[in-house]
Amino acid sequence: MSMLLEVSGVSVSFDGFRAINNLSINFAPAELRAIIGPNGAGKTTFMDIVTGKTKPDEGSVIWGEQNASLLGMSESQIAMEGIGRKFQKPTVFEAQTVRQNLAMALKTPRNPFAVLMHKKTKPNAERIEAIALQIGLEDSLTRVAGELSHGQKQWLEIGMLLAQEPRLMLVDEPAAGMTPEEREKTTDILKEAAKTRAVVVVEHDMEFVRRLDCKVTVLHEGSVLAEGSLDHVTSNQTVIDVYLGRAHA
Amino acid sequence: MMQRSFLAQNPSVLWFISILAVFTVIVTLLSEVTGVDMISTSFVKTLGKTLCLCLVAIAMDVVWGYCGILSLGHFAFFGIGGYAIGMWLMYARTEGIVLESLAGQPIPATPAEISDAIGNQIFGVVGSSDFPMIWAFADNLFLQLLMVVLVPGTLALVFGWLAFRSRVTGVYLSILTQAMTLALALYLFQNDSGLRGNNGLSGLQNIPGYEGVSQATLSIVFFIASAVALGAGYVFFAWIVSGKMGSVVKGIRDNEARVRFLGYHVESYKLFIFTTTAVVAGIAGALYYPQAGIINPGEIAPIASIYLAVWVAIGGRGRLYGAVIGAAFVSLLSSWFTGGGAPNINLGFYVIQWTDWWLVLLGFSFVVVTLFFPKGIGGLFDMLVRKQS
Amino acid sequence: MLRRYILALVLLFAQPIGANAQTLQDILQTHQEEVLKPGRRTVGVVLDDLVASGLPQAVPFLEAWRDREIVQRESDGLFFAVAEDGDTVALRDLDTNEVQTTAPDTALTEARPNGGVRRAIGDALVQFQLSDPDIEKRQAAVNAIARSMDASQLAPLQASIEAESDAALLAQKERLVGMLNASFADSTQDRIAAIEALSGDLSVDVRAVMNTILATSAHVALTVPDGANVAQILDVGTDLTPAEAYDRLVAAELAPPLVPKSAIREALIANISDGSVGGVAVAELNTDAARETAYDALAAAGSVEPRVTTQAQADAVAAHIFYLSYDEPDPSITDVTRTALTAIETKVGLSQTVDLGLDALSLASIYFLAAIGLAITFGVMGVINMAHGEFIMMGAYTGFVVQQFVPDYTLSIIIALPLAFAITFGAGVAMERLVIRHLYHRPLETLLATFGISIALQQLAKNIFGTQARPLTSPEWLDGALVFNDVIAISYIRIAIFVLALIFLALILYVLKRTRLGLEVRAVTQNPGMAASMGINPDRINMLTFGLGSGIAGIAGVAIGLYAKVTSEMGADYIVQSFMTVVVGGVGNVWGTLAGASLIGFLQKGIEWLNPSNTLAAQTYMILFIILFIQFRPKGIVALKGRAAAD
Repeated sequence: MSMLLEVSGVSVSFDGFRAINNLSINFAPAELRAIIGPNGAGKTTFMDIVTGKTKPDEGSVIWGEQNASLLGMSESQIAMEGIGRKFQKPTVFEAQTVRQNLAMALKTPRNPFAVLMHKKTKPNAERIEAIALQIGLEDSLTRVAGELSHGQKQWLEIGMLLAQEPRLMLVDEPAAGMTPEEREKTTDILKEAAKTRAVVVVEHDMEFVRRLDCKVTVLHEGSVLAEGSLDHVTSNQTVIDVYLGRAHA
Repeated sequence: MMQRSFLAQNPSVLWFISILAVFTVIVTLLSEVTGVDMISTSFVKTLGKTLCLCLVAIAMDVVWGYCGILSLGHFAFFGIGGYAIGMWLMYARTEGIVLESLAGQPIPATPAEISDAIGNQIFGVVGSSDFPMIWAFADNLFLQLLMVVLVPGTLALVFGWLAFRSRVTGVYLSILTQAMTLALALYLFQNDSGLRGNNGLSGLQNIPGYEGVSQATLSIVFFIASAVALGAGYVFFAWIVSGKMGSVVKGIRDNEARVRFLGYHVESYKLFIFTTTAVVAGIAGALYYPQAGIINPGEIAPIASIYLAVWVAIGGRGRLYGAVIGAAFVSLLSSWFTGGGAPNINLGFYVIQWTDWWLVLLGFSFVVVTLFFPKGIGGLFDMLVRKQS
Repeated sequence: MLRRYILALVLLFAQPIGANAQTLQDILQTHQEEVLKPGRRTVGVVLDDLVASGLPQAVPFLEAWRDREIVQRESDGLFFAVAEDGDTVALRDLDTNEVQTTAPDTALTEARPNGGVRRAIGDALVQFQLSDPDIEKRQAAVNAIARSMDASQLAPLQASIEAESDAALLAQKERLVGMLNASFADSTQDRIAAIEALSGDLSVDVRAVMNTILATSAHVALTVPDGANVAQILDVGTDLTPAEAYDRLVAAELAPPLVPKSAIREALIANISDGSVGGVAVAELNTDAARETAYDALAAAGSVEPRVTTQAQADAVAAHIFYLSYDEPDPSITDVTRTALTAIETKVGLSQTVDLGLDALSLASIYFLAAIGLAITFGVMGVINMAHGEFIMMGAYTGFVVQQFVPDYTLSIIIALPLAFAITFGAGVAMERLVIRHLYHRPLETLLATFGISIALQQLAKNIFGTQARPLTSPEWLDGALVFNDVIAISYIRIAIFVLALIFLALILYVLKRTRLGLEVRAVTQNPGMAASMGINPDRINMLTFGLGSGIAGIAGVAIGLYAKVTSEMGADYIVQSFMTVVVGGVGNVWGTLAGASLIGFLQKGIEWLNPSNTLAAQTYMILFIILFIQFRPKGIVALKGRAAAD
């Protein structure tokens, strides 16, 4: 099976601290994957590398059917290639309405002149409403995003991610600060999205990961410790040691 | 079609244009030109200059209030526009004078003699008579008008490209723009800058070819031109900041990284806004300095650009009318206080002379505005409007 | 002729004075005509005799003569020094110094030596003065010789060396003799020896002597004449333009002068007849070509001088050789001098580099002092304080006010330094509490609010102290400079500022690295949230940090005020450079600020050295450099790395 994203042999260090250590990890075009690991395992740094925020010291990141390297690309180019990212802390544009937030994320030409001459079209409006329905914000389209609740902001951000129509979604702790019902809904959205694209979820909450019911990758000290179903990895002795703090025994 | 829907969506633009039009008509009717003479020519010039300051303030508001780039260089672009038009004004006027004085000679002058005589008139004050390279187009109004747009635009483009691509943001960028402004001012202060050092360009209130027209008429023409430019600038920027462009630009202000991860090339947008506003600032300057009559490097000093930011902050950032209110209010108040218009306050033991104390008042009231009214006067305006509705 | 007096002088000191029964008046009487109307040739006889007489009263006489205060009484032909006192004229006897006669109507003839003669008298005086018992007079004479550097002074100076008792003056005299010998010694060997002896000396006057020996003048000839000591053959086109070359030919009367455009114009105007000149209509004379055509027509008709054609100019230039020749005819001397001068200039160049380095170092210390406070507040709190410059100004004015009450400059500085710190510390804390605290996480607004404070403080200072510069006088022991050689010198004030900067560097490093406060400050810098959760009160830290940064600005103000003027605008003069220092150095790091200050200090001096005529241009280039530098190192020289710096 050809891979959508192949990360191989990537290392990066900050001031002598190796945040990512010879990491190799692959994602298929349509799969749901959870990444778990203790604090400092390198989850966020991994996302930074894939999205172009951090340049690795060595290794390669290969993308798509053309096997293009992502390392020379800027953040916006990578985003245009079809990699979307949701941040740990919900970051929506609080001064703008939900509709404006979604409209900005819609997959339309991104160059300044196209944006300047942009006109509202019916298909786009319908698309925005469809996404709003999906994330349960259909009644809040004209509200300013800053007024939304924490969970709604999380959904709005997921909605923006969907509007981008990415081929790979990197989702950092989507369930943080959500009520159980909200979590369930989030799980449904992510599972639905993963039918047509790769969705990578970084999460601490084991219950949430269990509900996702997907392949799990455990990161530790910047490299892959174990991979497989949740039951498989949680029965792995090293993983248990790491989580209980006996890794160096 | 698109224009109409845009204006319909932005009622404040229609309001602004209407008020500006009424104001322009009233000032024109009350001026010396119509014979009513209730507004003196010098005050018409002050009002015309204020409109130009409002225009550069809108540009500043777009780049700072909407895009989040606190540029301390936009008054430099304003000054460059003034210098560009000033070069033509000074050259053409001096040429007229020189030709007139040479007409009485027994044999006609050669082009080199004419050029030398003009050069002597213009650069004698800095001990030179040669035309520097940068005056190559000074004899051509059209080309020099092009310079009003091209020079600030190119400078902003190059500087912005350098700064944005290396991801210089926030206060770093402010300091860098301030450094650029300082470098430009220091350069212009030199006698061999080719722009008459600290003498600057003068006599700009005389328009070549219209020597017979009175200053009263000229002042009204420039006043109306400034009003038209302000109206056009307002509509143009309102169009830019509403709609999707506005969304992206405001997004950049609030969270640059997020916009980047949405796939927008943030640097291009910043560069677009930075350059466009610089060009508008240049145009505003080109309208301002013929009304002021003189331009010198002191006008470009970094402090002027900071004052520009002060106006916008006091008027209220992120709303175009706020910038207009701020620039008009503070600059008119400032000339009232420093011009000796404000009555002195006698405290018995000390007399507060506003010419000395105005800056102290401005400085502290600016702190108060920043602390307690971050939305400025425009914010108060918003609150009033919201209460009524 | 001069040599003869010297002989006499030497004799004079060799034998006791007084053996001679002659009076001054006697000598003068034998030379009545020469005293009254001396000529450059005739004065020598008088001077010879005066010197030969060895009379001590000759010195005041010579002075009076030089100053045109000698008169001859017509009734008896006697000479007197005249001292006018209101309406009366007092005549002083030249030998006894008694005031002899007071007769307002006495017929007197004034002796009027002309300029050349007075110079000769002055030279003779120098001989007397060089051996004067009063060391100050001797010193004055030596200084006078050093100023004029005349060949005639060599012999008397040499003669006076033997009897010189003061060691310092002796050294000066010997050095001066060396310099005079280099220029004026009789034999080539002596001159060469003298020149070689001078080659270790970097002083300006030695270089001037050598440059005088190497003085050249421009010549033009068909061939280089024999015996000319040629310095350089000039190549037309590289060393001088063809137009300059032709001008030299004209000046040497080897070619006819060009007809300038203005002359053409005037000739044409003079020859206008019936609306045309030389067949060209007047209206068409608005190009140079048309004017030349008309002029050539006039020339052909013989009414004006013909123009020199371009071809003729080129031919004339090509036919001649343009060269520079030394005024000194002896090539062996110019060769030796050139070698010696090159050696000296190499040393001077090295010394200048060192001197420039010292200058740059002191500028860097000033920037460091001005910027370190800013760096601390910016680094720890992320706050740009635009009023930092005004804190510098407050410190300087504190120094000025203290000096109004404490007249002792040393004491006043000792009081002013801590007081300035205290006042600006207080101002900083007040500003932090009242304004900045409310604006955390809104850096751009902080920038503008502090700018508001800056303009208010600046205007307040103007209202209180006026617009004129106020002096902040340094104590006497800081006057003067530490001189290493003739080129390298550094003023004590700059050394003091350098030392102050070092002290502050050490102090700040100590506070940050070795004290509890420093630990807490660093904790807040790196992670304010985490620091707060560990029980550190960020409010307190911010307040203290801001106070500390402002306090250092106050001390910097006193230091800067000592060597620059104290004005209400002095803060504004330093603020941009301070920002540059912080930005270039890298935020939040003392070493970064040091590196930034050094880079900017050395850069500014370096650029000034390359372009010494124009400090404005130097500053412009420096700022452009910094803008470019930021492109390549946006985080400064010493950049914080890692995740902390990523946001």
